[in-house]
Amino acid sequence: MKKIFLLLFVIVSIPAFSQHLTSLQYSMGFGTGDLGDFIGKPSFRGFTLDYRKLVQPNVGVGIDAGWNVFYSEKGYDVYTIENLSYSGKQYRYNNQIPVLFAVDYYMNYDEAVTPFAGLGLGTMYSRRNTDMGQYTLEEEAWHFAIRPELGILYDMNEGVSFSVTGKYYYGFEAGDLPSQGYFALNFGFVFKR
Amino acid sequence: MIVKKRSVSNAVMAILVVVLAGCYPQGPEYVEDLDVVLTNFEDEYDFGSKSTYALPDRIVKITGDVAEGDDPQFIPDATADLILARIEENLTALGWEKVDINNNPDVLVTPAAWETTTILYYYDYWYWWYGGYYPWWGYYPYYATSYSTGTLLMRMIDPDVVGANGNPVVQWAGAVNGILTYAYDATRVNTAIDRAFDQSPYLKTN
Repeated sequence: MKKIFLLLFVIVSIPAFSQHLTSLQYSMGFGTGDLGDFIGKPSFRGFTLDYRKLVQPNVGVGIDAGWNVFYSEKGYDVYTIENLSYSGKQYRYNNQIPVLFAVDYYMNYDEAVTPFAGLGLGTMYSRRNTDMGQYTLEEEAWHFAIRPELGILYDMNEGVSFSVTGKYYYGFEAGDLPSQGYFALNFGFVFKR
Repeated sequence: MIVKKRSVSNAVMAILVVVLAGCYPQGPEYVEDLDVVLTNFEDEYDFGSKSTYALPDRIVKITGDVAEGDDPQFIPDATADLILARIEENLTALGWEKVDINNNPDVLVTPAAWETTTILYYYDYWYWWYGGYYPWWGYYPYYATSYSTGTLLMRMIDPDVVGANGNPVVQWAGAVNGILTYAYDATRVNTAIDRAFDQSPYLKTN
């Protein structure tokens, strides 16, 4: 996992040019629907890595990528299916990795404070692990995903903005899993070059 | 000026990367967190109408290398006594009466145990590549670790109910599995045995 972060670090460190926005944000996730039922606790482990190129003064297109891991530790419990009962402590993990094409519309881009709205379409990889004892039940899916977004940029100095964004990821039923959705609240920095 | 900006940007990103990389959830912390109990039963069998059982005074250790005609191995008597006493306590609480094997018990309770060791072996695999160039670095650097798990299987069979293959049908089975530690932890084992019976309320006799 650390190698992946280092690779991402290298990627975002590549010098970019004007009208390019690269952002790295800390992300908190709040599961909804099936994901929220499986893990009720919010995720405080995640990040997003976004890139936009301004194709018009107020319109940016690019790619969104991110990762959120939801985790909960269940107390001792008995799980019964027909005549079989299995008891112990259960550890639940749900990894969400969206990769999306995105379009953003910026209101008054040249101002110090820039609200914006966006939409993303793409895929979201879900991996759900249910661990008990030395065994894990692993379920995976590559969802078709949609992601509306609202955010705000605040210029800290020339070329660097602080950003707050709210995103809702929704992946349609696929693979081993039903539809998966979660809100993400993100804080971070946007580097304009 | 540009250099300074990059430096600030990279520093911010470096901090975020390090913070995020260190926070993947770790899961279980103690060996007992990995203890699990599995039970299964035949739903057509009327446990409530039975009342007596027989229990051996030793627990077979399944090793997988006993040839036909050999005597089985057993786990140490001191350990077996503790486990058998706990099984007996639970069955008594469910209304069962222990009788000798010669007194025509309704069911037989047959415990068995086995141990599995998993060895995790690592070596610095890239040695094949640079080792030839730097032979003074010595042999393949390697390190190994292992863990053992223990399983206690309790089975209840009715000697009068025989399956199509001629063997008695297992009417109830309870398996307790966990990581073994150096010392016998009676609390852990007793808790797991209790759980096997707690999650099998249908064993209660009338």
